[in-house]
Amino acid sequence: MKRKAYGRDRGLTLRMFATTAMLGLLYVTFAVVLFSVLNVGLVPLILIIFGIAFFQYFTSDKLALRAAGAKVIERADAPQLFDTVERLAAMAELPMPRVAIVDTDVPNAFATGRNPKHAVVAVTTGLMRRLDQGEIEGVIAHELTHVKNRDVRTMTFASFFAMLAALITRFAFYGSLFGGGRDRDSNGPPIWLILLVVSWLTYIISWVLIRTISRYREYAADRGAAVITGAPEYLMSALQKISSQIALIPQRDLREVSGMNAFFIIPASVKEKTSELFMDHPPLEKRLAALAEIAREMGRPVA
Amino acid sequence: MALKNPFGRRKRAASVARDRLFALSTARVTLEVELGLRTAGVAAVVFKPMSAGEFVRAASDLEQLLDAVSADAGSRIERKTDSFGFEWLIVRDDDLEDLVNAANLVASELANAGFDKQLLAAPFRFSGGKNPVYFVYGFKTSSFWPFVPSGDGQERDNAEELELKAKLEKELPIEPDLTKWLALYNAPI
Repeated sequence: MKRKAYGRDRGLTLRMFATTAMLGLLYVTFAVVLFSVLNVGLVPLILIIFGIAFFQYFTSDKLALRAAGAKVIERADAPQLFDTVERLAAMAELPMPRVAIVDTDVPNAFATGRNPKHAVVAVTTGLMRRLDQGEIEGVIAHELTHVKNRDVRTMTFASFFAMLAALITRFAFYGSLFGGGRDRDSNGPPIWLILLVVSWLTYIISWVLIRTISRYREYAADRGAAVITGAPEYLMSALQKISSQIALIPQRDLREVSGMNAFFIIPASVKEKTSELFMDHPPLEKRLAALAEIAREMGRPVA
Repeated sequence: MALKNPFGRRKRAASVARDRLFALSTARVTLEVELGLRTAGVAAVVFKPMSAGEFVRAASDLEQLLDAVSADAGSRIERKTDSFGFEWLIVRDDDLEDLVNAANLVASELANAGFDKQLLAAPFRFSGGKNPVYFVYGFKTSSFWPFVPSGDGQERDNAEELELKAKLEKELPIEPDLTKWLALYNAPI
């Protein structure tokens, strides 16, 4: 692909690289400790690692779609949405991804799939209802940039050792229960304790680093959307709409919802938990500031 | 009103809910003076009817009671069923306080007969803006939220609703969880 005039942010690329390198270093340390303390055979360890990685990698799209309750649609179901995705995919030089719809009032969108050929772009009905065409284009272009940057692969790779660490923490815990971790000699702390601590530390540090990478990917996707649509101001207004209070007010009818009995079932705590997930996105003000900067570079109007 | 305290065991819970409902009549001055909103002279209690004999009896007792009370207050009562299968006991009266009293009476009587779970909401209609404004009292949340339908279909003026929230928050128990501000499209009032 030809490099576009506004398509790079050198500082961001550098920071992204640095974080990834730190993550790599962390994992190597983790693996070394694992070998020297646990004396795990190299072969079973590698098998476990690759087993998990492959499973996660190849089922990422199905898992994400199922978790979100997304339904893959045909052109006839939503022609305008379909055309929009098709046109933007062409501009991003991507094959046409599958399109899915999540039936919920909350305006949101996501992309998944291990590579551009298996990509799915999902939007919610709330997004289509509340945003106008330009804003929807901005959001879809953002998701397509995730596909183009192969962020699913990056994040799978990044989160994979964190997962392994969590797994080993659990093993070590059971080991302690069944008295499996026999002391090497009577003076040192038991192996399972060392293992537990190392796994914990690995998990915590990698969690922070993964969040950091994820935030960088969001900036990159915002930039990509600005380049693809040539109009960052639409994505800016879309972001504002999505995160404003207004987005919380339902469009549904009270009587309809009470009939479905869904209204009172979801406890507030669950809602708070899901909003925690968004912490891997940068705060709105920073994203808007970054987009405004891009808009100025491109000579676009900024509100 | 004569029937201020006919509740026995449910007195406590009912009186808390009642205080919150009555906050609407207290907010009347702010509504009129600052927001230019006057009651459209109509309100309703929306509930899900049951076919059980006890419920039917309670409902018809209630209607008789309402007839007697409304004759005193000079308000008119009407009963309608909507397409969702909910019953609307509609009260027409030019005085907001009478509307609130009537809504409270219906709610208390049904709750007293053990049917508080059937109560859904009590919308109060106001006029004065471009669109009709409803203040919906939810019996499940014991709080109000604004509902401003705009246009004929399933649209609502969210900006206006949030502005009403900001201006009335201090006087009216407005539902803080915006995801519970559900709509009442094509309300028969």
